Amino acid sequence: MLDSLALTLLPAAILVIAALVVGRCTTASAAWRVARAATAMVAVAAVAVVVARVVDGVRADDLVRLDSITAVMLALVAIVGWVVVRFSATYLAGDVHERRYAGRMLATLAAVSLVVVSNHLVLLVAAWTATSVALHGLLTFFGDRPVAVAVAHKKFLLARCADACMVGATIAFGLSFDTLRIDEIAVAAAGADSLSIGAHVAIVLVATSALLKCAQLPFHGWLIQVMEAPTPVSALLHAGVVNLGGFVLLRFSPVVDLAVVARTVLVVVGVATAVVASLVMTTRVSVKVALAWSTCAQMGFMLMQCGLGLWEMALLHLVAHSLYKAYAFLSAGGTVRQTQRRRLAPIPSAPTVRALTASTALALATSALVGVVWQSLPWADRLSAGVWVLLGVVALATVPFAASIGRTSSARRIGSSVGRMAAVPAVYLALHEVFAELTPKGADAQIALLGVTAAGFVALFVLQAAARSMPEGRVVRRVRPWVYGGLFLDEAFTRLAFTVAPPPAPQPRQAPLPRPHAVAMVPVAAGVRRHGATTDATDATLAAVTTGTDHS
Amino acid sequence: MSPHATDLHAADFHAADLRAVHLHTDVDDEAFGRAVGDACSRIAPTWPLDQFIAVNPYWGWRSASIAGAAARLTALAGTTLTMPRSWFREERRAGRLTDRHLVDAAAELGSVELADIALAMLDAADEPWQPPLVRFALVTDLRDQGLGPVPGRTWTDLVVHQISQLCAAHFDEWQASWTPDRSAGLFGAWREDPSVTHGFSWRHGSTWARARIDALPADSLEAIARMLDELGVAPEGREAYLTALLCSLNGWAAWCAYQRWQARLADTDDDSIVDLLAIRVAWEWLLAHDHLESDGASERLREWAAAWTLLDDVATESADDQRLDWVLQIAVERTWQDSLIAGLPAATRPDAFPAVQAAFCIDVRSEVFRRAFESTDPTVRTRGFAGFFGLPIAYTPAGSALTRPQLPGLLAPTLEVTDLPSTDDATGDHDTGALAAARIDRLQTRERRQAFRKDPSSMFTYVESMGLLAGVKLLKESFPHHHGPDAWEHDGLGDDHGSLRPRLALVDDDPAAAATIGHRVLTSMGLVSGFAPLVLLCGHGSTSANNPHAAGLDCGACGGQTGEVNARVLADLLNTTAVRNELSVLGIDVPDTTWFVPGLHDTTTDVVRLFDTDLAPATHVSRLEHLGRLLRSAGEIARSERAASLGLDPTVVPAALSREINERANDWSQVRPEWGLAGNAAFVVAPRWRTSHLDLGGRVFLHDYDWRLDPERSVLTLIMTAPMVVTNWINLQYHASTVDNRRYGSGDKVLHNVVGGRIGVFEGNGGDLRIGLSMQSLHDGHTLRHPPLRLSVFIEAPRDALDAVIAEHQVVHDLVSGGWLHLLRIDSASGEVERHTSAGWVPRPA
Repeated sequence: MLDSLALTLLPAAILVIAALVVGRCTTASAAWRVARAATAMVAVAAVAVVVARVVDGVRADDLVRLDSITAVMLALVAIVGWVVVRFSATYLAGDVHERRYAGRMLATLAAVSLVVVSNHLVLLVAAWTATSVALHGLLTFFGDRPVAVAVAHKKFLLARCADACMVGATIAFGLSFDTLRIDEIAVAAAGADSLSIGAHVAIVLVATSALLKCAQLPFHGWLIQVMEAPTPVSALLHAGVVNLGGFVLLRFSPVVDLAVVARTVLVVVGVATAVVASLVMTTRVSVKVALAWSTCAQMGFMLMQCGLGLWEMALLHLVAHSLYKAYAFLSAGGTVRQTQRRRLAPIPSAPTVRALTASTALALATSALVGVVWQSLPWADRLSAGVWVLLGVVALATVPFAASIGRTSSARRIGSSVGRMAAVPAVYLALHEVFAELTPKGADAQIALLGVTAAGFVALFVLQAAARSMPEGRVVRRVRPWVYGGLFLDEAFTRLAFTVAPPPAPQPRQAPLPRPHAVAMVPVAAGVRRHGATTDATDATLAAVTTGTDHS
Repeated sequence: MSPHATDLHAADFHAADLRAVHLHTDVDDEAFGRAVGDACSRIAPTWPLDQFIAVNPYWGWRSASIAGAAARLTALAGTTLTMPRSWFREERRAGRLTDRHLVDAAAELGSVELADIALAMLDAADEPWQPPLVRFALVTDLRDQGLGPVPGRTWTDLVVHQISQLCAAHFDEWQASWTPDRSAGLFGAWREDPSVTHGFSWRHGSTWARARIDALPADSLEAIARMLDELGVAPEGREAYLTALLCSLNGWAAWCAYQRWQARLADTDDDSIVDLLAIRVAWEWLLAHDHLESDGASERLREWAAAWTLLDDVATESADDQRLDWVLQIAVERTWQDSLIAGLPAATRPDAFPAVQAAFCIDVRSEVFRRAFESTDPTVRTRGFAGFFGLPIAYTPAGSALTRPQLPGLLAPTLEVTDLPSTDDATGDHDTGALAAARIDRLQTRERRQAFRKDPSSMFTYVESMGLLAGVKLLKESFPHHHGPDAWEHDGLGDDHGSLRPRLALVDDDPAAAATIGHRVLTSMGLVSGFAPLVLLCGHGSTSANNPHAAGLDCGACGGQTGEVNARVLADLLNTTAVRNELSVLGIDVPDTTWFVPGLHDTTTDVVRLFDTDLAPATHVSRLEHLGRLLRSAGEIARSERAASLGLDPTVVPAALSREINERANDWSQVRPEWGLAGNAAFVVAPRWRTSHLDLGGRVFLHDYDWRLDPERSVLTLIMTAPMVVTNWINLQYHASTVDNRRYGSGDKVLHNVVGGRIGVFEGNGGDLRIGLSMQSLHDGHTLRHPPLRLSVFIEAPRDALDAVIAEHQVVHDLVSGGWLHLLRIDSASGEVERHTSAGWVPRPA
């Protein structure tokens, strides 16, 4: 019988071994058999870890840690890994570098499954860095595509900055807590009333690292542009990698709770990103890029929840978003079918301002009622101010149900709409209770931070309504191109970053189909040599102006 | 124009510089308009993904010879129309290119020594030498020599990206919910777009760029004229320059060409392609100005501008380079033709009276199934006909806002079909109006509720409350399953769809008019007498999951839809007694014992589904059951024939193979659900018995035609002006996507990113809109599944009939004499084949 702590390392061990075996496979089908078997075994191991957590309770040593968060995260990695590998095996069939792809995917998964079990800062930092490096190999899978190379490079630069922050944080934590064990740091912070300067510095660095790795504005560009990698890589990135910033913060939750600066940074940047990125998403024209902006916004929301001390909601958001986004990416090819379905009916007209106001009032009242009733239930605690603010966000979210009630709606239709409006906050509160069992209880947030959050989402709601109901309005018309351009934040950042560190040149890649490549030329004075031979002195003699970066 | 103070120096400089150019330019409005129009007409349209039909991307060049067009396309766009020479070497090694044909082809192109050069090259040990593709440089290319806009990126990339993003936003109706103001048109939108001024670092700052753009005329034609003057491109060079610019943005140019195509089918017009051109010219003009003050730049620009008048010279040089490639191309095509020609004389005419006649689409995929079907019973006769069954219809499902054309993209629909209660139910209590209203209400409520998932203010809560359920969907999709989701056409109908049938209202309202349609269809089909008791009208469709290009696997003749509606509408029409009575007035007697049954062949799974069998008379019930059995065994045969090409084991028991193929078809990660029309190489227009003894390997379009029934050659004319053009579009779509996938194909499916819900795909993050076929539709990773051979059209008809059609129809003349396809004639007496050449018909020994 394996020790339950050793068990947590089993997924990573299986994946590392599988990655090594795949490297030695001579055929793609063998490589995929190994990869599929490995991820199936990881799924079994993850179940075992969950069982061990239930049976054995919370345990930790110098290296790893088994608690509810470990179990949940490992289960998530196992599901995403199994699905994505299965998908890739068919999807990538016939590619010249299938085996390399399988190996890198397993390596990335191995690194992620190490991050989520680590209890030592050095292991955490190393595994997190390894995740990013292994993923880099997947993002540059089409290394012949200049955009793929440039974007992966942009991400590489930011990830190294984030790693540097984590190294700094490790040192600062070590100095101020005298230990590099994450659970000990958390326990120490949980028992303290305030943090030392060193601890403040450390947690600000962790928060900065999380902001960088969660693609928050203005460092979001790479996440939007890495559609240059195969779809399952996007699914893996958005479901299993980009959210690790939230996970790491969760590990240090008692420290964050005491750190006003870090909390403020998280809430302000998180809310700003959530608001801006979600609006940008509504202007995007391609499905994968819209999904990427959505991830950017969702990560902002998750980091905001971390800043507000609503750790249970942050974990719920992390897990639910992972599953949702993995599915959304993998099924993105179905967009056309969905459009066909939508085209069957005329697009319903946008609600009038009056109708929208009424809907909003109805939605707020319904959610408030659900909240009040919930509090009065015998087993429930009073809801914190933070939860009430989020319940307000939930209420605004259910406005579309209220808006689907028309003057002519049948009683059944009205019933089902109101039912949904009530069900959403109820489900929300129920999940809040469930996840509260898994995570440490956070400290209430400062009123100002709650104010920022509330103001941000009210502003978002108003902006969205304005864009929807007054698309021809002067301000809306003038603002849209800026929103569409993501406020040109990434352009500015990219120019700056690439001036400091230019991206490498794309590398040749074997292509199944021919790639004719032309040399662009302008005519020059007669008699110039052209492809080796001196041609007659015709006016059509040409000279190359560029040498291609392509190859056939 | 009020340039910013700091721009004065630059502005003065340009004014002086450009005035000089202007004096030399004698603007001729008419000639200029023609240059713009001709440039735009070079671009073939591309259809949206939900109606994804095959298009010949060289359609705009058809009045030239294929070799001439290729040379010009090389000079203007940097593409090629033939495979690399190394491919031909491999074909020769595999015996698919014979020396005899190589010598013949060289002789035909008037240069016997080309054969010697070709043979020496093919025999040599090292990689064959490939002449460089040389194209004219654009200003953007000149700028790319210097400092790029961002390290690691080129101006070419960024210009294409900027225009592409703008076009996507302008044309998108289904992805973004916050859409741009479109009232100013595409060019107007570009003029106001801050991404031009703020997304790039201009040498003179964003205010400079803004001032220059603001000074442009709002009218796109005027703006183009003005900017061409300033760039110094002489009138004789303009068409070439403008064509090259459109080719540099081929995807969106094709989308705009589609807007124009659709508008013109509806007798209006659309100028978005001119707007696109104006935008592309404006980028050249901005980049030229941004750069002009550097040393020698204006001299360089003058030299550059003067070059555009030299297209003919440069193209001639390219054509010389490419003659060898055309010799190889012809040789490989002739070699393939041999295999088909050799089998033709062995054909025998059957005499037994058929028990079942079945009409299938001409699609190459029908050939495999028809051969299998015929082998199940000697009384089965099949015939090939365009899969839309000649019905010029558009279909509007009951209670739906969507009207979709169910006919080839070349034609405009003239009849509307909708769902009606079937004749038997007409007395029932089905109220289609109420049903439609209920459907719209349901669908709109669903759409409104979708906002919970998509709206910025809802998406966070959606994820938290519903996101976990996606985990269930993830796992469900990851396990094999045999059924896809419910047909999208039935969305919002609930169980009511069973009571509705797509019908032509004309059948009840005006049987005589309906009979005229039926008469025309049956005549074109060559089915005017000798009706079997059961006539199967079999359309086709496909099954694939998570596939943006799914419509491309459906029936192209039905506008990228399944042929279900057409088959059901025609069967209904021909089964209606009133219509039959009128038909006999027109000379076609359909016996009372004959029943038309509609069916749909699923080309992915080789399952044929029959429709409306409940309407069949009692006398036909057992016949229909028998037909069902035959179709099932035909499916088994066809599946085992296709299994190996799908990477499956053909020797497993039929039920297991059927299950595997079903799982494959419904697998969300499957990028090669079937091979579509890959491998297509010929179009045979002849009675079926001419080829029924041959295994044509699913590479041949088959159209039944009996010239003896067509004294006026009206059917022949129809075939050569419609189905032959459609097959040419398909053939050259596959060809172009193979020889230059980056320009005319859509790249790697694993990177596809659907644009605007239905417009097309980006490959990856952005770049130009991609048209054509993906790599996965052409190549299995090990071998090329579509050897790019031009279509060989074999027609069994008298010489004079063929000559007359060629002479009378410009399109046919262009395609045949320009070498866009091969025309061959089957002699009906001997089964011998002769070739159409510029010098007349030339016998071809088998």
